[in-house]
Amino acid sequence: MIFYGCDIPEELTYDVERDVWIRFEGDIAVLGMTDVAQTRCGKIAAISFRPVGKKVAQGKPLATIESAKWVGPFPAPFSCEIVATNEEGFARNRLLANTEPYTAGWLVKVRPLHWEAEHGHLVTGAEAVARYQERIKALNVRCFRCVDKVEE
Amino acid sequence: MAQKIRLLYMEGVSPLRSQTVYHAVGYAMKPDTPNTIILVSPNAPYVCIGYHQDMQKEVDLDYCAQHNLPVYRREVGGGAVYLDKGQLFTQWIFHKEDLPASLEERFAFYIDPIVQTYRELGIPAEYRPINDIHVKGKKIGGTGAAQMGIAEVLVGSLMFTFDKKTMAQVLKVPSEKMRDKVFESLEAYMTTMTEQLGFTPDRAMVKDLYLQKVSAAFGGAEIVEGEWTPAEEAMAQEIDARFTSDEWLYQKGRLQQPALKIHQDVYLVEAAFKARGGLIRVIARLREGRIDDVAISGDFTLLPVFAVGALEQSLRGIAATPATLKAKIEEAYYRLNIQSPGVTPADFTTAIMNAVMAQQPA
Repeated sequence: MIFYGCDIPEELTYDVERDVWIRFEGDIAVLGMTDVAQTRCGKIAAISFRPVGKKVAQGKPLATIESAKWVGPFPAPFSCEIVATNEEGFARNRLLANTEPYTAGWLVKVRPLHWEAEHGHLVTGAEAVARYQERIKALNVRCFRCVDKVEE
Repeated sequence: MAQKIRLLYMEGVSPLRSQTVYHAVGYAMKPDTPNTIILVSPNAPYVCIGYHQDMQKEVDLDYCAQHNLPVYRREVGGGAVYLDKGQLFTQWIFHKEDLPASLEERFAFYIDPIVQTYRELGIPAEYRPINDIHVKGKKIGGTGAAQMGIAEVLVGSLMFTFDKKTMAQVLKVPSEKMRDKVFESLEAYMTTMTEQLGFTPDRAMVKDLYLQKVSAAFGGAEIVEGEWTPAEEAMAQEIDARFTSDEWLYQKGRLQQPALKIHQDVYLVEAAFKARGGLIRVIARLREGRIDDVAISGDFTLLPVFAVGALEQSLRGIAATPATLKAKIEEAYYRLNIQSPGVTPADFTTAIMNAVMAQQPA
């Protein structure tokens, strides 16, 4: 679903308030920035990841993102343990989350720690699209993707 | 009813505290914490680096040690900067719902009271999107934004004076020639209240003027000077400890900045190209896609002897594209009958384009 230029894949799960998408691979969750998040952040200049093995409480940063105009956290949608990061991908091309936010631009893979207690706010499918449409209108955001690549 | 904003006025604190105070108020923010503006200045000079910079690559640490300049890493982006009491930092720590949602609008909103303050002083300042303030093409301070806990943070300064000479000294640069160019570029493209007015305006008057403008921006909000809470002070002490730890200071930098950003439209870059007849070094200042200034050196032979200067002169102001550069250089070769064994106009073009391509996109 594309709304005001923002892609909202219906098969993914979302923490809408934190602008994080989630794709489940068995008991592991792959997390990344939504199209709305990457647009609002702007071109990424650098990312520092918390280390693999680190347990991160809900809402706390899994990584810190610096763009040309802003520094802020990539927040955990639920308490989790980091099992992998996409540090290597971003080392090759730091614009991955700006160009391919839902595929190559994933940020971290995590194992949820308190899933039963902390997944009630997550949405998917038509509900996710509806919630994002409201958010996109409220934020007055129009999504766009970077077209240029960073060469090493 | 117009909202109340807490003011923390902290002139003359330690360099460390001038950075940690806004991080502390940000990270300690709770849903019932008032929106807060901190006006703070350090009692001694220091160097402050951006969140993801590599201190050892960006800062001349020997110079800083010799001149007792501490170096601190902030949790706000951007580049290394020399700071002293000539700037009054204007730090906003706000709840996100009390600021515009988009970063562009948020910067415009934050910068407007600074611009209005300068204008009332008679300085024709303008907002230069996304986050600069300019006066007739010169920058009079930059700004930054960050999220710390639940707080949205905006930082900038009222620029009374700025020590450009020391700023050029504290940066780690590849050559002394580059350092000279940094200083020249700061002279050409940065300004201050003192430069603009011919005198340094009264600090208290400027502060009051700024607060009036902020109040107006928030529809007549009451700005009440207050104290910080024990929880905020405790957080500051915790952040003081982190900011002075080697682990924090020496963490590996991830930000690749091949170009030195002077302001939103102006970058300084250095690059080299090994031609058959010798190494060509180029320091180029780029302004909005054009060559603003260029210095060419190296171990090649170029005759007549004045030809390097003439080449540099002929390239100023032209578009930084390979075709334009090569045509201009070939024209100079023809006009001046330049002889350069083993070095061609195409080699000079490549050397200059290496510098141009090193410019990091904003």
